Amino acid sequence: MKKQINIKNLTVSYDRKPVIWDLDFSIPRQSCVGIIGPNGAGKTTLVKTMIGLLEPLSGEIDFFGKDNVEMKGKIGYVPQRKSIDWDFPITVFEVVQMGLYSTLGLFKRPSRREKERVLEVLKSLKMDQFADCHIGDLSGGQQQRLFVARALLQDADVFFFDEPFVCIDKTTEQLIIDIFKQLVSEGKTLFVVHHDLNTVKNYFDTVVMLNTRLIAAGPVEKVYTMENLTKTFGQGGLIFEEALNLTSKSQEGLKYNE
Amino acid sequence: MSYWGLNFFGVIKHFFYTFASFIAGNCSIENLAIDEIQVLVLVFIGISCALIGSFLVLRKMTMLANSISHTILIGIVIAHVILQWFFFKDIEKPFQIDMQLLMLASFISSLLTLFLTDFFNRVLKLQKDASIGLVFTVLFAIGIVLVTIFTRNSHIGSEIIMGNIDMVHKDDLKIALFLLLSNVLLTVVFFKEYLITSFDSNFAKLSKISNWAFTYLLLLQTSATVIGALRAVGVVLVLALIVIPPLTARLYTNRLRSMILLACLTSALGAIIAVALSRHFLSVYGLPLSTAGLVVVCQFFIWGASVLFAPKKGVLAKYFFNAVSRVTAANPS
Amino acid sequence: MNKLIPFWEFFTDPVLQASTISSMLMCLASSIMAVIVFIKRRSLIGEALSHATYPGIALSVLMCAGLFTKAPGVFPFVLLIGALISSLLGMRLITFMEEKLSVKSDSALCFVLSTFLGFGVFFASRLQFSHPIWFQKIQMFLYGQAATMLSIHVILYAILTLIIALFVVFLFYQIQAIGFDKMYTKVLGLRVNLIESLTLILIVIAVVIGIRSVGVVLMSGMLIAPAAAARQLTNNLSKMFLFSGFFGVISGFLGNYFSVNLSIYLMQVRPLWRVSLPTGPMILIVAACITFLCLILAPNRGLVTRLYRRQKFQLKVLRENILKEMYKTGSGQSFIQLGRRHRIFAPILLIVVCLMRLQGWISKENKLYILSDKGTKKACRIIRLHRLWEVYLYTHLGYLAENVHKSAEEMEHIITPNLEKKLSQLLKDPKLDPHDQIIPAGDG
Repeated sequence: MKKQINIKNLTVSYDRKPVIWDLDFSIPRQSCVGIIGPNGAGKTTLVKTMIGLLEPLSGEIDFFGKDNVEMKGKIGYVPQRKSIDWDFPITVFEVVQMGLYSTLGLFKRPSRREKERVLEVLKSLKMDQFADCHIGDLSGGQQQRLFVARALLQDADVFFFDEPFVCIDKTTEQLIIDIFKQLVSEGKTLFVVHHDLNTVKNYFDTVVMLNTRLIAAGPVEKVYTMENLTKTFGQGGLIFEEALNLTSKSQEGLKYNE
Repeated sequence: MSYWGLNFFGVIKHFFYTFASFIAGNCSIENLAIDEIQVLVLVFIGISCALIGSFLVLRKMTMLANSISHTILIGIVIAHVILQWFFFKDIEKPFQIDMQLLMLASFISSLLTLFLTDFFNRVLKLQKDASIGLVFTVLFAIGIVLVTIFTRNSHIGSEIIMGNIDMVHKDDLKIALFLLLSNVLLTVVFFKEYLITSFDSNFAKLSKISNWAFTYLLLLQTSATVIGALRAVGVVLVLALIVIPPLTARLYTNRLRSMILLACLTSALGAIIAVALSRHFLSVYGLPLSTAGLVVVCQFFIWGASVLFAPKKGVLAKYFFNAVSRVTAANPS
Repeated sequence: MNKLIPFWEFFTDPVLQASTISSMLMCLASSIMAVIVFIKRRSLIGEALSHATYPGIALSVLMCAGLFTKAPGVFPFVLLIGALISSLLGMRLITFMEEKLSVKSDSALCFVLSTFLGFGVFFASRLQFSHPIWFQKIQMFLYGQAATMLSIHVILYAILTLIIALFVVFLFYQIQAIGFDKMYTKVLGLRVNLIESLTLILIVIAVVIGIRSVGVVLMSGMLIAPAAAARQLTNNLSKMFLFSGFFGVISGFLGNYFSVNLSIYLMQVRPLWRVSLPTGPMILIVAACITFLCLILAPNRGLVTRLYRRQKFQLKVLRENILKEMYKTGSGQSFIQLGRRHRIFAPILLIVVCLMRLQGWISKENKLYILSDKGTKKACRIIRLHRLWEVYLYTHLGYLAENVHKSAEEMEHIITPNLEKKLSQLLKDPKLDPHDQIIPAGDG
């Protein structure tokens, strides 16, 4: 089994507008990767493409030798908290149990052994006393742990976190960092979409910096430099953006001013 | 066996008496009074609607359900035409629903709705809300024109809106039962798939569960149920049975299973009360009122009562809770 | 009953007059309000509000049947007020459910829609067997019955439509601001809540006028179709109001026109059918056809236009690629050579070559195509753009030299003269590309 996750020439467009263009990088196993970039840079798009929710226009995704179709069900996805309907009538237990559904098939129900596994996972994250609670009653930190539990149940090798540190308190922040450390020590690889530039060096050992195209990817000490940050968040890419805009307009058949 | 002249409580008593003796084996299906058929049809349809309605509400697809309830008109017309021209079936009465018609029409109308709405939204780039609204109103308008041409009677339209449960027949009972069993079966078998596609469609995709397939299945169920309910309560009132019971049930519980069960229960309860009231008004006041309308009115009042009195989520409960917590905050002892 | 009725008679004939004019007024009112509802993305509210009028109508008729039988002139007003109050109550309930009960918007709308209609059906049934004529009066509101309008209706609707038009004219900027960014408008200090309430009341009024013509069930369509059509034709809000109103009025007229004349036509062709087409659905079908045509054929956003432009762009790319190729090889090429080299179908190649000759890029001599001066200049420009882009990717975006070519192949067709100038300035007018090839100068 290969030891790397490889992305080659990945281009993803949304509504005929390229959101990610020609991305190319490799990540070794057991890394904790921060994905950095300004808003609209394609961070969430990259994550969604890597996990198989979006189809790329071109390029390859390679998880240790397997493509992401084979990896379906083995990738853990912890979504942004704001994208979930916390009002939905569902309990903590039922959400975590979903982690089993991909392996269960269409007509089967979870067995007692499988239900016990759910409780075990919840216990490992100190959520077992909330098993029967409605998800709307959870605090921010508990909500994060909920989806981590679901991903753990899938026995995932690779985890994707979408903005886990948004709007949480210090205790929860520490909790999540502990979870990261625990997962990495168990041999998992983590990808985290992150927005707070100050904390990058503390949380991650690898970083992917992108702004529609790849600026840099590699170990934090080497790659997370002032120069790269300027390129990521700076204005040099304005012409590029304008050109991309023109491309999408022409493909859409819309008029673009000469 | 007749309910003639009974008042509200008389109807209830008589109904349960008949029900009990049916279970005991003393009664047969052949001798059902019209009130009993009404109750059974309404209960069956009500439960079917509560089952699909729960998911439709959670998925924010109730407007699509409304859309389908309009497009079934044109679905039925097209189905009639197909059956008449290709299969040489002769239709005596325009809105006599039989199984073949039901299947074909529901298939056509759900496809039409889904396909056209999506076409306007994605290909023609029209806003989502405008796409839904435009598609169903236009298809309904075309349906009315076609019906007027084919049946020379534009008043058919009103019958579609409110149905005619006072003319309900034993055959309608068969269809209602069939729909009930299919809906229960599908809901039970595909419960976790429906749950996951409703709650977290991204995760469903990751778990190799097709979002599209289950959305379409739900719409197909809706379509079939609405057509089946045509005779009983008519098109728009079916929407009431789809939307109101789940909202009522939601006021009592935070769990999906309980919500669905409670929705079925309130639906059934409302049906019995409505039929009993209808008979009551007829017997005591001599007023023949619309049973279908009464069904909706009852469901509304059940909902209203729940809004006020539901434990924890009801208005009174919240008020009481706030008052209590203010008092205890003021007096920590 | 033989001749089709000419269009002016719809305004002069006393029987058709009231129906036609009031339909047109109703459509004008609803198409104006449709724009407001459309920009707020709440197009489906018309559906809920129109169904919500039904119990008010039923109760009003009940009242008229009971109390006002001696004063028939009062009817339209009582009905209007009844429908208005009922619909406003419906709106109040929707807001209550969304805000206080955390019910999702679509469920709230469907709840009110079906519940109110149910109540209406219930109230109406009181009259079904005892006073069938009055019952019919209620029933006709389901699908409208434009044919039975009187002058009193026309005058009433004219006044209400005028009020709506004036509202939009005087409060245009506020409506635009609220539609775009309500929060900001509130911060600015405008009386947002007041204007929103007024807007709501006017939507309800538009709905109430309309249901007499097209009925409760179809009304929502008239609150969507004209605005959707107008949006396709313009990005400017005031023009959108004008287009929408125009389309509304036409739909109102043509709906009446077709329902009457098509019925006459069908009577002639199929007298046994005895068909009389209802006006309400016809108005809606006309409006929807207009909308559909706009969606497909609109000059900038229409489907056909977009597809056409896309094709045009593909042909442009093809022509420019051939031009580049001819420049690089130098000598003239035959038709077959071109076809083989670029792998194009003969008929398409024929079109392309004709276009290029028309543009003066190439000319034909002895069955070979050669570049003209104009063509040479154009080819140079394309190569210049290609290489400029390569330099940009290489120096500013950190691309490797072997990766820049593919992107440049696409960009050379897209970069506008404006962008070219910016690029040249940024890169300080480079002379060589990353592969050490010469970049043609800006004007040569």
